[in-house]
Amino acid sequence: MTRALAVLGLLVLVLSSCNGGTVDNHALKRDAEKVSSLASEGGLLANDVSKGRSTKSFVRIHAQEMARAASDLQDALGKRPTSLGITADVRKLSRLAGKVSRELERLQLHPTSRTVARSLEQPLEGDVAAADKLAK
Amino acid sequence: MKIFQVALGILAAIGGFVDIGDLVFNVSAGATFGYQLLWVVVIGVVGIVVYSEMCGRVAAVSGKAVFDAVRERVGFKAGLAALVSSQVVNLMTLTAEIGGVAICLQLLSGLPYRWLIVIAGVALLVVVWVTAFEWIERIFGYGGLCLLVFAVAAVKLHPAWGSVGHGFVPHMSTQSPLLYAYFAVGLLGAAMTPYEVYFYSSGGVEERWGPKDLKLNKVNAMIGYGLGGFLSFALMITGGALFLEKGIQPEFLGTITLGAEVPLGQIGLLLALVGILFAVSGAAIDTLFSGAYNLAQFLGWEWGRYRHPRGAPRFTVTWAVLLVLALGLVMTGVDPVQLTEYAVIFSAVALPLTYVPIFLVANDRTYMREYTNGRLANVLGLLYLVVIVIIALTAIPLMILTNVGQN
Repeated sequence: MTRALAVLGLLVLVLSSCNGGTVDNHALKRDAEKVSSLASEGGLLANDVSKGRSTKSFVRIHAQEMARAASDLQDALGKRPTSLGITADVRKLSRLAGKVSRELERLQLHPTSRTVARSLEQPLEGDVAAADKLAK
Repeated sequence: MKIFQVALGILAAIGGFVDIGDLVFNVSAGATFGYQLLWVVVIGVVGIVVYSEMCGRVAAVSGKAVFDAVRERVGFKAGLAALVSSQVVNLMTLTAEIGGVAICLQLLSGLPYRWLIVIAGVALLVVVWVTAFEWIERIFGYGGLCLLVFAVAAVKLHPAWGSVGHGFVPHMSTQSPLLYAYFAVGLLGAAMTPYEVYFYSSGGVEERWGPKDLKLNKVNAMIGYGLGGFLSFALMITGGALFLEKGIQPEFLGTITLGAEVPLGQIGLLLALVGILFAVSGAAIDTLFSGAYNLAQFLGWEWGRYRHPRGAPRFTVTWAVLLVLALGLVMTGVDPVQLTEYAVIFSAVALPLTYVPIFLVANDRTYMREYTNGRLANVLGLLYLVVIVIIALTAIPLMILTNVGQN
């Protein structure tokens, strides 16, 4: 009984964490939504920084986490094989994830600069729109 | 004076209601489905009230904690399966909670994450070792009350109150029914997580509750957990009002605190971080002791947090080993938020093994004398057993089909 539970647990962990392999339309949509989410959250954070409504530690650490997640997506989307006909969109999304990552890194490096934060708001908004377009 | 003490206990229970599972699932559910799943939180909160009252009553009348009942009522083999599954889930939850503590400290201080894991571990060890237990409950419970900032944030975000009200009526307007079901199961699993009843009943035995304390048990369970559910509503409303509209999927603890920062600024952020820090630290201690209680009760060892460590050495070694194991797991770099999702879903699978024995013992006159379940407790208890079995059977298939709530 105990062994069966352990095997089942392991199987579940393996099955549910499998998201590598070929990028199909469904995966493209899901990853585009992730990029959009990161850009949108980055925009909220940048807006708060521009108004002096956040703290240095929080901005530095949280922006770093988001930048890392965007960078991971950039790497994955740049390397993974794709279904026929969507390669260009997948690579475009990879570049977009990279752009979001760099913008979030700027926020991480200048966590108290209202000027930097203000200058990032519009680009991040644009990234959300671009990612949403790819998600459709 | 008695009323004052009861009020303090209730405040501590409210602040201690939310753990990392509630934080992750309530905010994510709000960000994905808006207010549609508020009714599930109500069902989960009523469920934990019903079964906490039941196992508190069992503890008060028979002097038996949950795992005593498990061992005596379901036999050795099923009992062992319950023990193994509960210990695995406890360890996963403890790991996620300690990771959550370290993340909160990092977001507050900016120090490196791995140092903070060690600091969090040492701090938990010192607190558990040197602080009287009623003070641990109070300190972390009152600190957790800072989470009420999410109630203020929810109001300040101006949600559509009509939709919020509609969320308390069961309905489903989505093209992703599987995802909806996954979140419903996760919310119920988070609200009725087994370690809460292990801890609650063992605490009752340790505090030597007797039949005279049954009223206090009822008040604690109903008002403490009931009002604690209010925090869950606030978290889901915050998720719905802010993140759904912006298309944000909360994948980090920091995202959750952004829900308080955006409407309330720095003070909102700091209160949210401090509230999560205390709530998650308190839950880590509860989980730590639950693991030690379960093993000690199952194997018939001496146990108790009120005893000197030398009076219950195997109990003390068990929680110390669990703490070291959890710290080791956090150090591997596992993502606490993702681990929380797994822990909640696996705990949902283990729910019947926890709640069925409680229900059986609460109806057994040889244990309970004249204090067996009344009609209402039996009707609700049976209804919840049906719900729990459905959750247990569907949790893992839903997790696989939705890729852990990603699709």
